[in-house]
Amino acid sequence: MRLAACDSAALALGLSGGIALADARARVPELAVFDHDPAADLDLLGWLADGCERYSPACMIDPPQGLLIDITGCTYPFDGHEVRLAKDLKQRLRRHGLTGQIALGATPDSARAKARYAKQAIHALPVEALDAGDKVHQALRRAGLKTLQDLACRPRKAFAARFGKATVVKLARLLEEEDACITPRRHVPVVSVTQNFAEPISRTHDVLDTIATLTGKAAAQLNDRSQGGRRFEVSLFRSDGHIARLAVDTGAPTRDSALLMRLIRERIDALSDPLDPGFGYDLIQLTVPTADILLPSQAGLDTKVDRSAQTEALIDRLSVRLGRDRVRYFEERNSHIPERAVVECAAQSGQPQKDWPKPAEAEPPMRPFRLFETPQRVEALASIPDGPPRQFRWRKSLHHIVAYEGPERIAAEWWRRKAGHEQSKGGPTRDYYRVEDSEGRRFWLFRHGLYSETDAPIWYLHGLFA
Amino acid sequence: MNIKAILPKATFSSVPNAWRQYQPNASQPLLPIGAAEVDEHLRGGITQAGLHEFFGGAKADSHAAAAFALLLAWRLPESDAGIFWVTGDKERQTSGRLYPLGLSAMGGNPARIFLVQTADLRDALRAAADAIRSKAANAVILETHGNARLVDLTSTRRLALAAAESGVLALLVRGDAVPMPSAASTRWRICSAPSVPLLGNAPGLPTFDINLLRHRGGTASFAARVTWDHATRSFFDTPLSGGLSAPVTDTEADPQQRFRA
Repeated sequence: MRLAACDSAALALGLSGGIALADARARVPELAVFDHDPAADLDLLGWLADGCERYSPACMIDPPQGLLIDITGCTYPFDGHEVRLAKDLKQRLRRHGLTGQIALGATPDSARAKARYAKQAIHALPVEALDAGDKVHQALRRAGLKTLQDLACRPRKAFAARFGKATVVKLARLLEEEDACITPRRHVPVVSVTQNFAEPISRTHDVLDTIATLTGKAAAQLNDRSQGGRRFEVSLFRSDGHIARLAVDTGAPTRDSALLMRLIRERIDALSDPLDPGFGYDLIQLTVPTADILLPSQAGLDTKVDRSAQTEALIDRLSVRLGRDRVRYFEERNSHIPERAVVECAAQSGQPQKDWPKPAEAEPPMRPFRLFETPQRVEALASIPDGPPRQFRWRKSLHHIVAYEGPERIAAEWWRRKAGHEQSKGGPTRDYYRVEDSEGRRFWLFRHGLYSETDAPIWYLHGLFA
Repeated sequence: MNIKAILPKATFSSVPNAWRQYQPNASQPLLPIGAAEVDEHLRGGITQAGLHEFFGGAKADSHAAAAFALLLAWRLPESDAGIFWVTGDKERQTSGRLYPLGLSAMGGNPARIFLVQTADLRDALRAAADAIRSKAANAVILETHGNARLVDLTSTRRLALAAAESGVLALLVRGDAVPMPSAASTRWRICSAPSVPLLGNAPGLPTFDINLLRHRGGTASFAARVTWDHATRSFFDTPLSGGLSAPVTDTEADPQQRFRA
């Protein structure tokens, strides 16, 4: 067993990560040891990365112990001073009892190397900062090249020939000659607006007011880009490091801040556990992760209200409150099995299908008004085996059939079954009958399976006619 | 009981206006059923900006009430605004889902229908009230099943006032329930009726036995049989096969009927 990591006290005693536990115990008998839990470490890093989104939307975990934040263009709350941002971060970490080695660099590689070796200047770093493998490091040291300074002033072609192109690229990135992008944990939003507070705020009223201001700002930015947001996320950064996130989706791109506020209020009302401001929020952020083109449209000259925009607003409101899948519209599918022929889609996901089959003149409806998702089993009696039913019992009451039409034969979709193309393996055929009972109720019944397919076919009630 | 005693005094400024919304008004648009005899009884039709209740005659007739309500909504002139069908999880389980291919076969346009499915009746009432109030809907149909305590005078009045204000047709389908006092403009009992069979004894067009149980405008109860014609999107009168049945006055089920009798 080896030590994975040491705290500062242990480091002061001369221990370090990587040495055997027995050796460490021999040197420091009163050593306190805990099991290494990489998953918990990653969780903590993730929590820190979430918190660092107050500085920049582009944060990335650099395992095992690093965090990379791209603060390009994000220093305006600190008057453009990166150092002040770093100071702020350090203070926040200290408040949570964490010590961090923070370094600033023009490229992620340079910042990482500076932090790891706790040096301010990149040229002073040892060649191990290249992270190119022990063989390369050893070879460089043997050649008398000990720091990056030694490498930087030498021609690169020879290096490329000796150690490969990858090493040269690494060197260029370390020396801030070539930039590499980081892969942020979360999608970098199209628009992001934040509001800082010197004193944390906790009153709901204040929080909502702030969100309203932010939606206004976001709307202005979206307007400049001729875009409308499809999703809006509000992040409430609590002063103790907790982050509450709320998200609302809209069916159509929008930048109407009044509508957004209604949706956000609706979302807050629908929360299962209410927002707990604790000691207050010290930063509120509104981001728009997805946006679509939304060109300004002119309202008609007549006074008719724009119905479709109102419909969209209502759908959004109900979807936010009840859940996205609870407001739906119909869409036709290419299948002749009745229950597969139609699906219901979330109303926010698109526009309803316009053209549906037109009814035939002078013919009663051939499809029922309501359909049971799972056909209801009934006890039916037919006068002849292959014929129409004479009577059936459904939900404990007996129905005598006085009029019928059928059968409408619908074969099973054999191609969905394994070996369905073989004889008698395609699935039972359905014989549908449109029937009317003595009291005038109209039903859609089917016999599941022909007599040639099965010995005792079962009758089902599948739908109800008006 | 002195009815005058419970009338609000005119000194309250807002109450008389609220009261007036229940009164039949010549300026309010009416929605004709299409069947001449029924419309004559109704003096033109049902109020378009109002709440109407539909009870199923028997347990198995709940879907007839739902169908009749939906067909009424289709009588409205076609527009961009949708028809919102609000229902709970329980209703969907007992009476199945709407089947758009059947709806289009009855002459409607399934693209106009938006389904709103809620976990319970409280959410359904709230969603329906929001839909009515928003003016985004052409008609809002709320389907309930069983005797629900939540559908009482207060909640129906809320719907009725919202409908009167926004001009949206609000339809309340009450399957398998006993009529209770409510603020609806009209109350109907709907049963499936035997259709006129087609050639070869095939079941014919959708036919209903409709009973007006009560009407806020004071129209007397009556019974009729109507058939839906999907080509004209209208109901038409159908002669009752066994002679005209007596109008239904269920004084036990409907306490308001007692005043009229």
